[in-house]
Amino acid sequence: MAKFVTIGERLSVTAPTVNRAFASRDPEPILKRAKQQLDAGAVYLDVNIGPAENDGEELMKWAVELLQSNFDNVPLALDTSNKKAIEAGISVYNRSKGKPIVNSADAAGRIEYVDLAAANDAIVIALCNGEGIAKDNDERMMYCQTLLERGMEHGMEPTDLWFDPLFLVVKGMQDKQMEVLEAIKMFSDMGLNSTGGLSNNSNGMPKNIRPIMDSALVAMAMMQGLTSAIVNPNDLRLMETIKSCDVFKGNTLYADSYLEL
Amino acid sequence: MPFNRKPQKFNAAIKTVEIGSGDKTVTLGGENVLPFYSFDGEIKNGPKVGVEITDLGLDNEIAGVKAYYEGASTIGEIAKKASEMEGADFVCLRLIGGDPNGEDKPVDELVAVAKEVADAIDAPLVIEGCKNVEKDSELLNKVAEALQGKNVLVMSAREENYKAVGAAAGLAYNQKVGAESAVDINLAKQLNVVMTQLGVKPESIVMNVGSAAVGYGYEYVVSTLDRIKAAALSQDDKMLQMPIITPVASETWSVKEAMATEEDSPEWGNQEVRGISMEIQTAAASLASGSDAVILKHPQSVATISKMIKELI
Repeated sequence: MAKFVTIGERLSVTAPTVNRAFASRDPEPILKRAKQQLDAGAVYLDVNIGPAENDGEELMKWAVELLQSNFDNVPLALDTSNKKAIEAGISVYNRSKGKPIVNSADAAGRIEYVDLAAANDAIVIALCNGEGIAKDNDERMMYCQTLLERGMEHGMEPTDLWFDPLFLVVKGMQDKQMEVLEAIKMFSDMGLNSTGGLSNNSNGMPKNIRPIMDSALVAMAMMQGLTSAIVNPNDLRLMETIKSCDVFKGNTLYADSYLEL
Repeated sequence: MPFNRKPQKFNAAIKTVEIGSGDKTVTLGGENVLPFYSFDGEIKNGPKVGVEITDLGLDNEIAGVKAYYEGASTIGEIAKKASEMEGADFVCLRLIGGDPNGEDKPVDELVAVAKEVADAIDAPLVIEGCKNVEKDSELLNKVAEALQGKNVLVMSAREENYKAVGAAAGLAYNQKVGAESAVDINLAKQLNVVMTQLGVKPESIVMNVGSAAVGYGYEYVVSTLDRIKAAALSQDDKMLQMPIITPVASETWSVKEAMATEEDSPEWGNQEVRGISMEIQTAAASLASGSDAVILKHPQSVATISKMIKELI
């Protein structure tokens, strides 16, 4: 089994510093956050430039080139609703360390992002949602099938679709948590890869609680077969949990210094 | 249905480590396929064969070994002959005489032996200590210093003395370092981690993950080798991508199957034939499980294993 793939989430326009840096094309804050995440063990970095309707293409190219030239062609997830910007990013993307990830498609309005990934030999995060959150796993798995078939029709390898069950917030949707975990097991039983924004679960909780909840959930999800997650790699407890679970699953060989690798 | 050949491709490779200098330099590792799977991808370097000699000379050696070295009286002459053996890629000098529980030769005397050997040959040289952790820390440090510029492989840094040996051989004197663990896969990885944290370049480390004679727990050696290669290639584990060297002669020639005389065990047949057989079988199995180099002693074993490698790659 391959090692769990962490996708660092800290390059996002939702962070004011990053938003400003993207807008003014200021490399420093971007490179600083990228380095922090990579030093902490992130495999991929998510580059969320927001809707970027006006200058998305140029901005994504700038970001991809900036990050890959500074960090040995670090693999990236290109995260925007602007399809042209994703294509522009891929046009300058170096694949030596991994295919680009298109973030993301769903089974409704954003299903064409699957086609986009297929046309560009990219990985796609396939969110198992329709017009809204799936009400149960029957619906969730129907979306999974729709997305999978779409990808295969366009010539994708099934393993290049990374299915996202959509992690739900505990405060308000506590009764849905086991269902999400069961969906991951179903993806895994079908031999499919999976990922998702894990920290959704702890939204609205006190800051000191979130790493605890996120770590517990990642351990349970990895047991179910989750192969990747979009996370804050600078959450030490979470990263230690992932590395420990990778040992238990045989994804990495244990050595006393395993947490330092 | 037509047969569709699907090569097993890994996005990872074993690192290459060079020992020696000049024309005779050998490169260990570099492969990105399983052992001898040359049908999956080119194996550029191929496993290498080393010839073992010791500072104790030839008195205790078996007849065929003595016969090969006939006429060689100094350690320099012995080394020269070893380097000229058919199929030999490098020479391995074991400084057994340093063992405090054995002859306890002083460090300076052993350093002089190492120097004499290094000066007598142009083949790459591997130096093994006496296996006593404390003595080796000092001995290997001094040897690494004395042989600067020869690019020798110093064996071995172990859990107890990796700082002393690794710092001397790998950092101060720019030699290559062997990282030794005794059939303990987790320790094998850990040693590579701590050695690189010490500052030794991954390209300067060769692993000795342990050895045994066939029949003496050898299945553990095989499973260790297998798992290391699998983690290095299929999981791209950078801390296990160092090439592996396996000392074979020192194990196989010291078990009773190789040591019992025909007089004592007539039912086992000729002693030398038995010993060679143990040596060849152990070496072949180690190579098939992933060793990038084996260290042998008997000329017939060296020739046979070297021929096997050439025919399989």
